[in-house]
Amino acid sequence: MDRNKRKGIVGIIITVIILVLLVVFTNSNTNQMSYIQNICNVFVMPIQNGFTYLKNKLSGNDAFFADMDTLKKENEELKQRNSELEQSLRELEIIKAENETLKEYVNLKDKYKDYSTLPADVINRDISNYSSTIVINVGSDDGIKENMTVIADSGLVGHVISVTSNTAHVQTIVDTASAVTSTISTTDDTIVVQGTLDDKATLKATFIPTDAVVLEGDSVETSGIGGIYPKGIHIGTIKQVINTSNITDRYAIVETAVNFTKLNTVLVITNNK
Amino acid sequence: MKKLLAIILLIISFLLIYFLQANFFTWFTIMGVQPNLFVILVLFIGLFSGKKLGMIFGIIFGFYIDVIIGRQIGISGIMLGIIGLVAEYLDKNFSKESRLTIMLMIAGSTAIYEIGCYAFNIITLGINLEILSFIKILFIEIIFNLLITIIIYPIIQKLGHMLEEIFKTKNILTRYF
Repeated sequence: MDRNKRKGIVGIIITVIILVLLVVFTNSNTNQMSYIQNICNVFVMPIQNGFTYLKNKLSGNDAFFADMDTLKKENEELKQRNSELEQSLRELEIIKAENETLKEYVNLKDKYKDYSTLPADVINRDISNYSSTIVINVGSDDGIKENMTVIADSGLVGHVISVTSNTAHVQTIVDTASAVTSTISTTDDTIVVQGTLDDKATLKATFIPTDAVVLEGDSVETSGIGGIYPKGIHIGTIKQVINTSNITDRYAIVETAVNFTKLNTVLVITNNK
Repeated sequence: MKKLLAIILLIISFLLIYFLQANFFTWFTIMGVQPNLFVILVLFIGLFSGKKLGMIFGIIFGFYIDVIIGRQIGISGIMLGIIGLVAEYLDKNFSKESRLTIMLMIAGSTAIYEIGCYAFNIITLGINLEILSFIKILFIEIIFNLLITIIIYPIIQKLGHMLEEIFKTKNILTRYF
């Protein structure tokens, strides 16, 4: 008896709840319901869309089945054509790459036409984390000698430190052992830019004259002092000036014009003027 | 004959490592820092084949690296030779059967090699000492080397025991009996 009573009470409660819910939902604004509709749609609509698409496809395209053989043939032909096109695309890409390399050489030559230069490819990079030298594919057989300046399209790369008959080792300006005497192009103040361990895309400019006005964005060029690098070759731009309590210790960070991680083609200046 | 074959195998591994280091690891870096697989190779030779072979291979490999890509000839040869010598000492005092000890040995050897080379470059080339940057790079390099060691540890063990059988049979007997 008690059991039946309890069942009845539960039934009543459930019914009341259902009723209340029905009342609430049926009387509420449809806009307020939209989020529930959205949730429901997420589960159903993609599948529904798929079915509708299939239905339309099957009912509307009877010819699809009828022309199966023709389509197969056409498909084969298209595949054949596609592979032919891919082949010619690959050939074009090779030609494009060659063209770009040649253009790079021509641009480099035009830019530094006062110097007689020899183009070279970078064939090896330093495997040490603490130095930054590269090996290029020209050597003493091509007339390369020690201390010759190496440049790239955008600026100074470094100088030759040793030569074999067909390769040359180049110490880049970002190497920690490199120090280049240079000038700030806007003010003509002489500074020394050195490679650092921290970053292989920046240099540290030191020995900045106390009266020099150094501004971010100033261009830095070689000064010609020191005998290795000719005057006026672009090195980079000043990225940041670090002021210290003692003005003689202040230094600047110079961003190199050359991207050393992507350096593939260089020019060796064979007649320093 | 077996010895000759083993030596050829070691030279081939050196060349393989050289090409990996000069090509793959120039872009596969941790924060721009490459691992130093040569240290691992020379330590491996020294540990499993004895100091003589370790030192000789260290010097030859180091010299070769210097000639091909280095700035000064000799320093890599000297430092890798020292690693080969140190390996024998490590073998006598520590177990090679534990992954942890091998990892510690690699970490120590990498530090010895790089500190030695850096000190030599500071003296000879007059480079500015950048101690913090150096420690940062060295730390990353050691971690990179350790990760590689963890990956190749089974190969180190397997090939190592083969080398040990070929080169160190007498030593093992005298040590235990």
